[in-house]
Amino acid sequence: MFKKGVWKFGTRQVVFAAIGAALYAVLSIATNVLNLPGAGNVSLRPAVAIPMFFGVAFGPIVGFISGFIGTILSDLVSGYGFWFWWDIGAGILGLIPGLIWLLIANYRQFKYILWAEITVVIGVALGMGLAAISEMWVSGADIHTVIYANFLPAAITDWIMGLILVPILMIAFSSVLKRSGR
Amino acid sequence: MLVTWHYRIRKNLMERFDPRARWIFSLTFLVSATVFWDARILAGFFTLAFIWYSIARVRWQDIRKGWYLVIFLLTTMIVVNTIVTGGGAGGVVPPGGHLIWPDPIVFPLTDWKIHIGLTVERVWFALCQVLRIGGISAIFLILPYSMNPRLYGVTFKGLGLSDKFAYSMELAFRYVPTLAREFSTTLDAQRARGYEIERVKGGIFKQIIRIAPLIVPVTMNSILIGEDVTNAMDLRCFGQYKRTWLNELKYTRIDYVLIGFSALMLITSFIVLYAFHFGGFWVPGFFLHWFGK
Repeated sequence: MFKKGVWKFGTRQVVFAAIGAALYAVLSIATNVLNLPGAGNVSLRPAVAIPMFFGVAFGPIVGFISGFIGTILSDLVSGYGFWFWWDIGAGILGLIPGLIWLLIANYRQFKYILWAEITVVIGVALGMGLAAISEMWVSGADIHTVIYANFLPAAITDWIMGLILVPILMIAFSSVLKRSGR
Repeated sequence: MLVTWHYRIRKNLMERFDPRARWIFSLTFLVSATVFWDARILAGFFTLAFIWYSIARVRWQDIRKGWYLVIFLLTTMIVVNTIVTGGGAGGVVPPGGHLIWPDPIVFPLTDWKIHIGLTVERVWFALCQVLRIGGISAIFLILPYSMNPRLYGVTFKGLGLSDKFAYSMELAFRYVPTLAREFSTTLDAQRARGYEIERVKGGIFKQIIRIAPLIVPVTMNSILIGEDVTNAMDLRCFGQYKRTWLNELKYTRIDYVLIGFSALMLITSFIVLYAFHFGGFWVPGFFLHWFGK
């Protein structure tokens, strides 16, 4: 691994940011069939774990771009248009977990998985918080709407996805690293 | 096919504009429209947005899914804002106002009474929201349907982003069909082993864990592919010199006109708001009279 600086953006980061974004888009479309029981209009998006995991595995810039471009791509393919602040929010979901990238020595170890989980919780709170608050100046929504109609539905599902899937991906990544001798 | 781009060549007026000029117009529209709450000005922006939208000549069948989402979000927001919470829309609508139902409503056959705090001002505010969000949505919803996905990278580079960020974007667009194919292959392989993604039995947690056999192999395979691509790009000295792009963008006269108009719109909006203090929330007299106030 070529870990030089947390904000490094070299060839490796360019490629993995693109892969993360494309993966996010493909998985988002593919899992649109998963609906929350009893809530017809809210779909589960397990793909949100991708920017979080790519942040943890390849750094904050990769995490940010995976989320930011990935959301633009998936909305583009799904026909949902362009939602700038929500795209930035999705970028933050990946950026915050990426801040511990350099500190991780073993992706299988409980301590590092716990750190990743904590950053996932903070990242979702900040990312979805920013996206939800943006509705105050974009749509003129009040704080109640922002919290109950925007922030909580988005954040709760993202927390659940991230907390379950990021450790699974970290453990699988650890095996890949070991097998490929990196 | 799992993934298809919504864009197709339509030979319309919008496609004659440079994508960079269109992004500049869209972003300046966003900033300009969000500084006002005066319905007269918002109606102007709304009209401008739909004139812009109409020149893309996108059929309703193509774009209806996006509009359904906008209508759903807008309806939720207005119902929660004006009817349920009545929170005064983030300080835009002044407290108090003219109650539509000043007397409590009594449930038939009972003595139950409820007070509905809905005011005329809040109803007018809801109308302003429709104008503002409808206009902004029209401007941004049309982008993916009228812009060639292959031009996103060079467009963002042209808007001042770094080569690497823009190239990452370009690369992501190219990877989507490849990864979609990879995903389909993995899905078929897992289905052959008895995996059922469509099964909705079980709680949320079971559904999420059930998705892992699909996400993990696709993600790990992509990472291994990424390592090979990185090595290939490093061998070709990626990032060592100034980058050139396959598609070149050139501004023409109509692009300069559009950029000039965008700058004028933005500057005028700020002058109207900050120098003339005009454009804040306001309820017309006829609307109050209409409700008998």
